[in-house]
Amino acid sequence: MPRSFLRPAAAVLAAALLAAGCSAGSTASSGGAPGAPDAPLRIGLTAEPANLDFTRTDGAAIPEALLVNVYEGLVQLNQQTGDIEPALAETWTVSPDGLVYDFTLREGVTFSNGEAFTADDVKFSIERVQSDAWTVSLADGMGVVAAVEVVSPTQARVTLSQPSNSWLHRMTTRIGAMFDPSGVADLANTPIGTGPYTVSEFRRGDALVLTARDDYWGEPPAIDEVVLQYFDDATAATNALLTDGIDVIGTVQAPESLARFEGDDRFQIIEGTTNGEVTLAMNNAFGPTSDPRVRRAIAMAIDHQAVLDTAWAGRGALIDTMVPPTDPWYQPLPDVTPYDPAAARALLAEAGTPTLSLRFRVANLPYAVASAQVVQSQLAAIGIETQIEPLEFPARWLEEVFTNADYDLSIVAHVEPRDIRTFGDPDYYWRYESAEVQELLAASETGTEEQQVAALQRVGRLIAEDAAADWLFLLPNLIVADADVRGLPQNRIGEALDLTALSRG
Amino acid sequence: MGALTVLLQLVRRTAVFAVSLVVASVVVFAFMTVLPGDPARVALGINATEEAVAATRAAFGTDRPLVVQYLDWVSGLPSGDFGRSYVTEVDIGPQIIDRLLVTTWLVLSGMAVALLVALPLGVLAAVRHRRPSGTLISAFSQVGVAVPSFLAGILLVTVFAVRLGWLPSGGWTPPAQDPVAFLSMLVLPALALGLVQGAVLTRYVRSAVLDVLREDYLRTARSKGLTPGRALVRHGLRNAAVPVVTVLGLQLSTLLIGAVVVERVFVIPGLGSLLLDGVANRDLLLVQGVVIVLVLAVLVVNFLVDVAYTVLDPRLRRAA
Amino acid sequence: MTAQLTPSTRAWGPPALVVGAVLVGLVVAAALLSFVWTPYDAVQIDPAARIAPPSSAHWLGTDRFGRDVLSQLLVGARTTLFVGVIAVGLAGVIGTPLGILAAMGPRWLGELLMRTSDLVLAFPALLLAIMFGAVYGPSTLTAMVAIGIATAPSFARLARSGALQVLATEYVLAARAAGRPRTAIAVRHVLPNIAGLLLVQASVSFAIAVLAEAALSFLGFGTRPPTPSWGRMLQEAQQLLYTAPELSLWPGLAIALAVLGFNLLGDGLRDRFDPRLAGRR
Repeated sequence: MPRSFLRPAAAVLAAALLAAGCSAGSTASSGGAPGAPDAPLRIGLTAEPANLDFTRTDGAAIPEALLVNVYEGLVQLNQQTGDIEPALAETWTVSPDGLVYDFTLREGVTFSNGEAFTADDVKFSIERVQSDAWTVSLADGMGVVAAVEVVSPTQARVTLSQPSNSWLHRMTTRIGAMFDPSGVADLANTPIGTGPYTVSEFRRGDALVLTARDDYWGEPPAIDEVVLQYFDDATAATNALLTDGIDVIGTVQAPESLARFEGDDRFQIIEGTTNGEVTLAMNNAFGPTSDPRVRRAIAMAIDHQAVLDTAWAGRGALIDTMVPPTDPWYQPLPDVTPYDPAAARALLAEAGTPTLSLRFRVANLPYAVASAQVVQSQLAAIGIETQIEPLEFPARWLEEVFTNADYDLSIVAHVEPRDIRTFGDPDYYWRYESAEVQELLAASETGTEEQQVAALQRVGRLIAEDAAADWLFLLPNLIVADADVRGLPQNRIGEALDLTALSRG
Repeated sequence: MGALTVLLQLVRRTAVFAVSLVVASVVVFAFMTVLPGDPARVALGINATEEAVAATRAAFGTDRPLVVQYLDWVSGLPSGDFGRSYVTEVDIGPQIIDRLLVTTWLVLSGMAVALLVALPLGVLAAVRHRRPSGTLISAFSQVGVAVPSFLAGILLVTVFAVRLGWLPSGGWTPPAQDPVAFLSMLVLPALALGLVQGAVLTRYVRSAVLDVLREDYLRTARSKGLTPGRALVRHGLRNAAVPVVTVLGLQLSTLLIGAVVVERVFVIPGLGSLLLDGVANRDLLLVQGVVIVLVLAVLVVNFLVDVAYTVLDPRLRRAA
Repeated sequence: MTAQLTPSTRAWGPPALVVGAVLVGLVVAAALLSFVWTPYDAVQIDPAARIAPPSSAHWLGTDRFGRDVLSQLLVGARTTLFVGVIAVGLAGVIGTPLGILAAMGPRWLGELLMRTSDLVLAFPALLLAIMFGAVYGPSTLTAMVAIGIATAPSFARLARSGALQVLATEYVLAARAAGRPRTAIAVRHVLPNIAGLLLVQASVSFAIAVLAEAALSFLGFGTRPPTPSWGRMLQEAQQLLYTAPELSLWPGLAIALAVLGFNLLGDGLRDRFDPRLAGRR
């Protein structure tokens, strides 16, 4: 082969490539050696955020990273007790008629761009949720606000159009986040909040790096730099933890793998509770499942403990309706649609459809696909054949199942807090319509706390009796980490993964 | 006249290459616009009003006729402008370039491993093709071909990263930032890619060297007094190299695809994982961009190999 | 691409054919057996018997759903063969006529067809399958069609070069001179003579199809659950890599043996059919 041709060509190619390639890609960790006191804390998560703007992008990934850590609200949720606690608002009072909330704001709070946090920002942020700027469905939660008034730089007054028992709780979610008018220009890439961390780097497909601020108003977090690393593959996350590539697996997607970590002193396992109801949705408006008897038959054909044991290694809890144990109106309902395949078969026959064929279009997520296979097997035992179709999550599932309600059965986990209210929306993908439920949900907003609990308990029972959906199990909060990491949350009942309490050693 | 023939061939091949590029871009664009799903609606979410959707469509430019959209997209490609993603609202071009470089490192190192494995083994197997050692090498190469690269990757991670702790189980560091970490993170993925590819190549190398060993002109060289070893090196390897290089070009698409899977196992932020993310997010423009880059890479390499072969073809050279 | 490259393995000789045929035979036998009998229903979930080690009840143990591994392997052989047959069949049915056409038709048509086939080669099977899966939803069907389309160029190229050689023989030249219609020549002379080469290509392409399906299932773009598939068995066994590693062993072994078998079969057949190797030692 003529060397005269190859040599210079190869040299040029190599040089060009080397120059360009030397800075290619991104790194998993920057800063000190892993394990050292000032080293970054590396947390493995799934479902990378598409961008950093949770005002326009649905999904749990963005608030998981940014809420509480980068953005703060007037109030925050105590994930252990479920209580609403002060955050940017030091104190607040509610008028006797429940319409006027007066917030006294903390002083000396600044946004990460240097701007001071005042009542003007409260007004701006709340009104922004009500405007076109917010396109996520959660923004509806601000619809009950009639007006926001700046009483003084540290006093904000919010007037509701009607009393709402749930509004203040909703202010602990993303819609309560405080924004600065000069900081919303590029939310998708540059989030600006009052929280202790800022996003110093977002390397798509790899990691989101949060760095602690010097000018945070409160106690600075113990960890200076947190690297959130996103894994598509659960085994890769396990391997990374085992080989000290990361320090924490924040959301264990392969509960079977926990067996590897049990009894190993180098690691700790945390198992707590969440808001994530793994729900078997049944189309209430179209197809064979629009008949309540068919839905009840399906609910009775499912052995939920078997689903939990098989799909999620028995980790998690069983729930009978759309209410997790951490909500005040939680109640077990063992008498509603218990596991009884014989009765299920009878119900199907009574509905005139002793055999059925249904489309089982599930989100392409580990718990959903695994649960679907168990449910399929149990439904087959009573004469219902199903075809499982995993749909890419979020994009395909959102469009086909969520928007178009083009499904018979589906499975996805609903992680928003207090999402029982979705059963009052006939356009929600359950397509469930019950005037009684809607009235009860409205009534639960006004009235006393006891009345709220009673109303919502009634709603919980009604939707279970109607089999508007079936609740397979409640996702656990599963974390595996190096033994010396402190402050990991026992429960995850808000939208945020609280990094501010973490420390090592 | 040899030189003129070569030149004509080159012109022909370049023309074909150019046409292929255009057709490929049309195919990719046409395919991706078949994707059901209005990017405007997906971007705005479920509660979007019709006016908002229409306005966003206008902003994205997806309300224009398809031909216009195609030309707009294609004209940006040479300068690295792949458009702005509807989902992430980020310019796609820089992302693709960055990830392309990562995947290039992976593919090149995989190829290097493959060559390191295949060249000595292939030559050995050819030279000793009648002896047991030659047969053994052939057997190993057969087995190596049968193992999927992700399986090789999983095995390597389990043994070398987790059990022995010698190497990290995944991740990526740019070489400029930390050369040592970069190399340590590259070893296992490169092995996963390269060992399998090496097995495939071994058989081609062996075949090519065997062919050369039988060529008359080699016997002539040996009859001139050169030792068998010298004859092999001087004449044999050079001529065996040509078909092997051709095969390397053909193997590029296999390596690229192997890289997609290996990137998943080793959590490497390359083109493969970008493609899979784009599909999961229904980021149609991103998928379009990644696919055209991958296809382009294969076409370009094949074209270059074609050119090299045309220029170096012994038959043409002898005719000169 | 003018180089015609084949990794000849004269070193193997007859043993390649035998070993390959045996391995392929095993796969076929497993698939056929699965129609008649499997120890258990391959999709039957049994939560009480999850992740059981091999025992007299379950010869190869059970997976995380309590499904019998042996039964899944047997039915998985069906999926493997099904994907291979459809994909290779599709490739052959598309590629062979086009290749023969390229050889027998006008020169410009031959050029066009070969350039098109080169273009298709730039879309590797996995990429096409991911694209199809993104549009139509991943399934066995999209995987098969994608692999078939991606493999068609190999058949086209082979058919063309084989056809060219046959067309140059005296027998065919005489037939053409006698005015025989082209299609008759194609069917009666070309096809039978290139059949051997096509068989070799089919065998090799089968191996590629099996590997592609495994990779696709691993990525989540292949056979939908709960239909057993070796690739998905491997993917599902990942979670239990440290607690039950043998669950990854069986499907991995099955894939490797099947691919090995088809490759060896192809090599053995090539040694018999490739005229260029005839007379070589």
